[in-house]
Amino acid sequence: MNNPKEITRVLFENFQPQAIYLFYAIGYVAIAVFIYGVYVQLRKYRRGKSDGSWNDLLHRFIDMAKTMVSHRTLVRRDKSAGRAHGLIFFGFVLLFIGTSTITLEYDILRPLFGVQFWYGNFYLLFSLVLDLAGIGLIVGLIYMMYRRKWLNLPKLDYKRVDRQVGDPDFDRNQYRREDWAFLWSFILIGVTGFVLEATRLVWLSGRPEVWDYRIWSPVGALLAQLMQLIGLTAEGASNLRVGLWWFHGLLSLTFIACIPYTKIKHIFTAATSLMFKDPLAGKRLPRVPDEQKTAGYKTITDLTWKNLLHLDACTKCGRCQEACPANAVGAPLSPRDVILSLREFANHALSAKEIPKEAELDIHGKDIGQVFMETLWSCRTCLACVEICPVAVEHVPIIVQMRRNLVEAGEMEPLLEKTLQTIHKTGNSFGESKRKRAAWAKELPFEIKDARKEPVDVLWFVGDYASFDPRNQKVTQSFARLMHHAGVNFGLLFEAELNAGNDVRRVGEEGLYELLASSNIGTIQSCDFKSIVTTDPHSFNTIRNEYPDFGGKFEIEHYTTKVKQLIESGQIKLKKKLDYRVTFHDPCHLGRYNKGYDAPRDVLKLLGCELVEMARNRDNSFCCGAGGGRIWIPDPVGIEKPSANRMKEAGQIEGLQVFVVSCPKDLTMFEDALKTSGFEGKFIVRELIELIDECIEYEAWEGLPQAV
Amino acid sequence: MKILIAVKQVAALDEDFEIRADEKDVDEDFLLYDLNEWDDFSLEEAMKIKESSDSEVEVVVVSIGPDRVDESLRKCLAKGADRAIRVWDDSIEGSDAIAIGKILAAVAKKEAPDLVFAGVQSSDHSYASTGISTAAYLNWPHAAVVADFKYQPGASQAVVRRELEGGMLQEVEINCPAVLTIQLGINKPRYASLRGIKQAAAKPIEELSLADVGLSTGDVGAGNSMSRVRRMYIPEKGRAEMIEGSLAEQAAKIIQIINEFKGA
Ligand code: SF4
Ligand code: SF4
Repeated sequence: MNNPKEITRVLFENFQPQAIYLFYAIGYVAIAVFIYGVYVQLRKYRRGKSDGSWNDLLHRFIDMAKTMVSHRTLVRRDKSAGRAHGLIFFGFVLLFIGTSTITLEYDILRPLFGVQFWYGNFYLLFSLVLDLAGIGLIVGLIYMMYRRKWLNLPKLDYKRVDRQVGDPDFDRNQYRREDWAFLWSFILIGVTGFVLEATRLVWLSGRPEVWDYRIWSPVGALLAQLMQLIGLTAEGASNLRVGLWWFHGLLSLTFIACIPYTKIKHIFTAATSLMFKDPLAGKRLPRVPDEQKTAGYKTITDLTWKNLLHLDACTKCGRCQEACPANAVGAPLSPRDVILSLREFANHALSAKEIPKEAELDIHGKDIGQVFMETLWSCRTCLACVEICPVAVEHVPIIVQMRRNLVEAGEMEPLLEKTLQTIHKTGNSFGESKRKRAAWAKELPFEIKDARKEPVDVLWFVGDYASFDPRNQKVTQSFARLMHHAGVNFGLLFEAELNAGNDVRRVGEEGLYELLASSNIGTIQSCDFKSIVTTDPHSFNTIRNEYPDFGGKFEIEHYTTKVKQLIESGQIKLKKKLDYRVTFHDPCHLGRYNKGYDAPRDVLKLLGCELVEMARNRDNSFCCGAGGGRIWIPDPVGIEKPSANRMKEAGQIEGLQVFVVSCPKDLTMFEDALKTSGFEGKFIVRELIELIDECIEYEAWEGLPQAV
Repeated sequence: MKILIAVKQVAALDEDFEIRADEKDVDEDFLLYDLNEWDDFSLEEAMKIKESSDSEVEVVVVSIGPDRVDESLRKCLAKGADRAIRVWDDSIEGSDAIAIGKILAAVAKKEAPDLVFAGVQSSDHSYASTGISTAAYLNWPHAAVVADFKYQPGASQAVVRRELEGGMLQEVEINCPAVLTIQLGINKPRYASLRGIKQAAAKPIEELSLADVGLSTGDVGAGNSMSRVRRMYIPEKGRAEMIEGSLAEQAAKIIQIINEFKGA
C-alpha cells in the first residue's frame, strides 16, 4: 500500500520557476480581462431604468437553482437538446468545482494554513468524477455540433424574417461563427484535458502511486494504454505533455477571459435572468408612472436593467420563434430577433465609456439594431414566447412598451387608430351606443338583474364581443339561460360596463386603458356582489391580473370553472351525454395567461365528449391571431392567417366533429377560418357553452328566441 | 407668427334618439360630443407649419361653446396646440353660423394672427359658413375648401389649392392675413393619445366672456341672428314595396297601385 499522501496529481513538477511565474502572470491577466468585461456589462445594466424585482431574493434564488438543476425549462419541447445541455452544464460545473478545489488547496489552504486534503481516497474519487464529467461534457458538445451541422433545424437558422437578403444584419453569420468557435474551443479544452491526463500517466508509469491507481481516471488510463501501444515512451510523453499543458492551460484561461464578451456569458446572464423572472410577465403589464412625461420605450436607456439583462440572457435557441404564431404565418416578427436586435443595439450604445447622444439611442427605425414598426405591430401578445423561453426572457412587456411609444407618436394602422377613438367615444370597440350593451338580454324570457341597483351573488362582466357581436350574442343568451336555470343569483352592469381594456392595453394605449379600467373599477366597486364571472378570457385576464394595480381587487372566475362547479354540485343536471369527437383550443388568455387548462377539459369530459388533443395544446396552444389588438388590424392579404393554420392542424384529427372554443373572439376567428380554409362541412366550431346547452333540458318557457 | 384655428365640438346622434320637447333640437341625452372631423385636419396643417418652421410659430385654438367644449380643446392641446381659448355666454345659445363668425372675428382681432384656419364645415349642422363669415367680419381675404397649402412662415402671401367640382383644383395666391377653410384629406391628422390628453389638462384654457372680446349680448343669440331654427324633425320615410308574383300578377298589382294613387 502506498502512502495515501502520495496518491495525488502532480501539478508543476519539472516546471522551471519562471514558467510557473509566467503561467500565474497569464492567469492574472485573464482574470483581469474577465473582471473588466464584467464591469462593462454591469455598467451597461446600470444605465437602464430601475426595476422593482429585488423582493424575495432567497426565494428567487431557490427557484432559479431548482430550474437549473432540473433543467426543466431546457428539456421542455426539446428533450435531446435539453439533455445534451445538461451533460455540458453538469460536466462544466463539476470540472469547475474540481479546478477550484485544486486552487483552494494548492494556492490557499496549503501555503497559508498547511491544510491538505487533495490526496488518497478523496483524490481518487475526485479523479473518477472529473473523468465522468469530462466525458459528459464532450458527448454533450458533440451532440450540439451534430445538431447544428446535420439537423437543419429552422429554429437554429439565424436568417431574419424582417430583413431582406443583402441587409447587413440579414443572416447574422457572426452568430454562427461564434457558436462554432465556442463549441470547438470548449471541446478542445475537454479533449486536451484527457490527452494531458494520459500523457501524465505514461510519463509517470514508473511510479506505482500513480500507475497503480490509473483505473480511477478511466478515460486517461485507456488513452495512456493506447499511447503505450503505439510506442510512446515515458520521456516522449513528458515532452509531449509540456506542450499540451501550455496549450490546454492557455486555451482555458482565454476561455475564462472571453466569458463576459461572448455567448459564454449566458452562464451568468441566463442564471440571473431566471432569478429575476416575473411570473406575471406579460399578464400584468407595467404601469406608466403618472409623473412620467412620455409613455413606453423610445430609446435604449428607457429599458430597465432587467430588460437589458434579459437581452443578454438569450441563448438564441429559437424556441420562442418556433412557438410564435406571427412567425409561423410569415409575419415580419421573430421574438428572438427583437431581443437580439435590442441586444446588439445595447451593446453598441451602452458599452462605451460615454452614452451617445439621445438621438443615437432611438430603438425604433430601419437601421441596424432598430426594431421595425411592422415587427412590433405583428405581435399578438399571445405569450407563447415568454412561456417557452428556457432562460425567462420576457419579450412581451418589451414589445408592448415599444408599442406605447408608437401609439404616442401615432404610428399605427389607421383602422386601429379609428378603433381606439371609437372605444374612447363609446366605451366599446363596436362603436355601438352604450345603451345597446345589454340589448341581447331583451330577448330572454326572464329579466336579468341590474347589479348596480340590487345585490347579487355573481356579477357577470360580459365584455364587448359577447355583448355586441351577433353570433356571440346567441352564446351569451345561452349562458344567461344556463345561469338562470341553475338558480344563480346574477346581474349585469348594463350600460355602465366599458370595454375591459385588456387588448387596449396590449396595443399600447395606456392612457385609454387607465380610463377604461378606472371607470370599470369604480362601477364594480359600487355594486354589492360576491364574485365576478365572465365568458371572455381577455376581460378575465385584465380584471384578475391588472385591475389590482389600479385598486380593483376582485374575485373573478372564467365561466368554465363556474360551470364545472355548477355541474359537479348538481345545480346543472345534464340530461344527455354527447358522443362527439371533439378537440379543444386553449384561448391564450385563459390557458397560458391564467393556467385555466383543466376546467374546460373537465367539462367536456362531463358532457361525454371524446377529446382528441391537437399537437399544439395547453401551454403550447397556437393563438387564433386576434390577440394584442390584432383583431382590429386587418391581416395582410396573401399570407396565411394564424386561425387558418390552426384549422389545418385540427383538420388532421380523424373523424373530428366539433372544434370547441371557450372565448368569444375565438368563435369569431375560427368560424371565419373554417369557411376560408375549406373545412366547412367537415367539422364545426362551437363555444363550449353551446355544447352544454345541448345537454340541458330546459322548460318550454325558458326557450331562446333563435337558440341554435 | 401666429395661427388661429377655429374649432367646434360637434354632436353625433346616439342610437334611438329623441327630439327635444320644443322640437328645436335633439334631446341632449342622446348626443355624443367630439371634435369636428375637419378641425383635426386644420389643426394638423397648422402643426405642420409650426414643426417645419425655424422661427417661433404659435398655434392657438378657439371655440365658442359651454364647459363641455373644454374636452375637445384639450384634445387639440394634446396634439400640440400652444393655447386654447373658449368664449361663452349663455346668450350665445341659438346663434347661427354668421353670428358665431362675428364672435370668432372679434377673437381674431384681439389675437391678431397671421392666418385663421377653420374646417370647411361642421359635421352636425353643415352650414359651411362659419369660416367665411369670420373672414367677412374681419374683411380679410379667404379661400374655401383648401386641399393643399404652401406657406413660408412670415411671408405676406400663401399659395393654396382649392377643391372644385369634378375633381378640379384651383391654385390661388392669397394675401395674408387670410382665413382658410380646410378640407378633409389635406394631411394625415395625428393621433392624440389619452395620456397626451390627460397631460394637456395641465395647460390652461382661457375663458373669455363676450365683453372680453368687445361684444355684448345684443350681438349674439337667436334674436340677433339672420336665421333661426324653426323645427327639427325626422322626415317620414318614403315607402318601397317589392312586387312579387308572375309577370301578369305584377302588372295587375302596379295598375292597382296607380289607381289607388289616382283615386286618393
Ligand atoms: S407574444 Fe406571441 S405573437 Fe408576440 S412575439 Fe411572442 S409568440 Fe410571437
Ligand atoms: S429569447 Fe429565449 S426562447 Fe428565444 S431564442 Fe432567446 S433564449 Fe431562446
